[in-house]
Amino acid sequence: MHVLILARELDELLELRAVADQIGALEVETLVPKAMTNGEDLASLGLRRAYFLEGFDDISPDGLKKIVIDLVGKVEPSLVLGPSKKVFRELFARVAHNLASPCLTDCTSLEFSGGRLVVERPFLGGGYVERLAVKKLPAFLTIQMTGRRPKIRERNGPEKVELSKPSSEDFSLRRVSVERVERGGADLAKARIVVSVGRGFKRREDLKLAEELAQLLGADLACSRPLASDLGWMPEEKHVGLSGKWISPQLYIAIGISGQVQHMVGVRNSRIIVAVNNDTSAPIHREADYSVPLDLYQFIPALITVLREKGVRAT
Amino acid sequence: MPVLHVFVKQVPDISTLEYDPSTLAPRFEKATPRLGEADLVAFEAAIRIKESWGGEVVVLSAGDGVNELVLREALAMGADRCFYVSDQRLAGADSWVTANVLSRLSRKVGKADLLLCGEASTDSGNHQLGPRLSEALNIPCVTHVVGIELSEGLVRVRRILEDRTETFETGSPLIATASLELASPRLPSLLMIKAASKKPIIKVNLAELGLDEGLLEPLVERLSVRVFKTARRNIVLEGGPLECAEKLVESLVKEGVFKA
Repeated sequence: MHVLILARELDELLELRAVADQIGALEVETLVPKAMTNGEDLASLGLRRAYFLEGFDDISPDGLKKIVIDLVGKVEPSLVLGPSKKVFRELFARVAHNLASPCLTDCTSLEFSGGRLVVERPFLGGGYVERLAVKKLPAFLTIQMTGRRPKIRERNGPEKVELSKPSSEDFSLRRVSVERVERGGADLAKARIVVSVGRGFKRREDLKLAEELAQLLGADLACSRPLASDLGWMPEEKHVGLSGKWISPQLYIAIGISGQVQHMVGVRNSRIIVAVNNDTSAPIHREADYSVPLDLYQFIPALITVLREKGVRAT
Repeated sequence: MPVLHVFVKQVPDISTLEYDPSTLAPRFEKATPRLGEADLVAFEAAIRIKESWGGEVVVLSAGDGVNELVLREALAMGADRCFYVSDQRLAGADSWVTANVLSRLSRKVGKADLLLCGEASTDSGNHQLGPRLSEALNIPCVTHVVGIELSEGLVRVRRILEDRTETFETGSPLIATASLELASPRLPSLLMIKAASKKPIIKVNLAELGLDEGLLEPLVERLSVRVFKTARRNIVLEGGPLECAEKLVESLVKEGVFKA
């Protein structure tokens, strides 16, 4: 099996390389931003070739599509893997349609079964899992990032090949502005304890309560979708759920989160889930190990007091 | 005045969906059909554009067993006309087949300035219809849109990605997929529901679209769907805030995630 991996970040490449290992890929090539080919990061990943692009993020969607179609024509992979991020889902669907090929997004597992590539992915918001057989190759799959890591091989650096970019004037769609979101703190996917906030918070300034708890526990702060996208109280990269991050901490403390299935699918791999929500009918209580059916405005200060008094900290 | 095509999908209402306890498979036949969540958002955005610019909103849908009552809901919200394909052959349709059918249906209905759909369907959540329509119709596409502005001959759209916000400009036509934040779908009034009963819903036969066999052959086959079961302990802590806090801390120390 010949696999082409597309990634914008090293963590994504590592995880997709692990997926290629799982399905027994014999030959693996990659397309990454130029910055990732500096240094030795790619040396021990068993990659034959690393194609790279300068200014990866600045290339228009149409330009990137053209580059990938050309590259797939040249490399002739059976499988093209990318992270389940918005840019890649869009790109893969477009390239796949152009090549009359299948595309599956948010895949959680893939295997060969009866000579066919079989994929699992969330269905109906994550409340169900669907199992699908791919009938034609190459297949374009975006993989849900859950922290897999590849085996480390001998250093045998990939051959590095720079790809040229099409002129942006060729396309009618123009990107007229970009605002980058500042990266706040560590990567949620690696967090040991996550304190997560939802619509139960009445005002933005009240999030200080959760911040104080997180600080005390050395935890990372996350949120449900509405707090990032509707209210803009938290950055998009802290949004946990079907369309955001999928995390697997030792402890997930959900405060004022109702627990819709689209949220829960992103936290199901947590070892322990604590739910703080005074709405006893909220679905989060059914998927929690410990339920606290109290007003978060009374419970969180009490929890902070107890942690301080007993000098409790995270292990 | 702009012509807007909005693509909608009939999906099972998740809140009424049950599963078979022995096979863990969903009982689709017992669930109430409705329009997809993000489809309604796309639709609301289209209606608002029509309210400020005039023009026409056309609803397009395809599937197996499409229920006209569900499409009436879109007409009640303010669409002018509706075209749909309902055919058994589409029972196993994947994103490839759906995009082929809907792109051909859109072309048959006529030229559009703005083509809108949800960023993902409520059931499959593939995120593929907009991008695939873009290829099938050779029209530029912006996904995950949270804002649309029209000005003379120009469309400006904004989208939020994981690490950045982007704004694009283009002339028409454009395909935009709606993020849930783009608009809050309205509830149609009784008057609008009544008015909708007179609006045309036109069924188009799949054969009329003249699609080659290869364009109707799915590239992916669904083998099974099963409910996701979680095993959590569901321990409910009782008492006042301090009492609960003490119980929780004690439990988490025992679990080994906290140390005293």
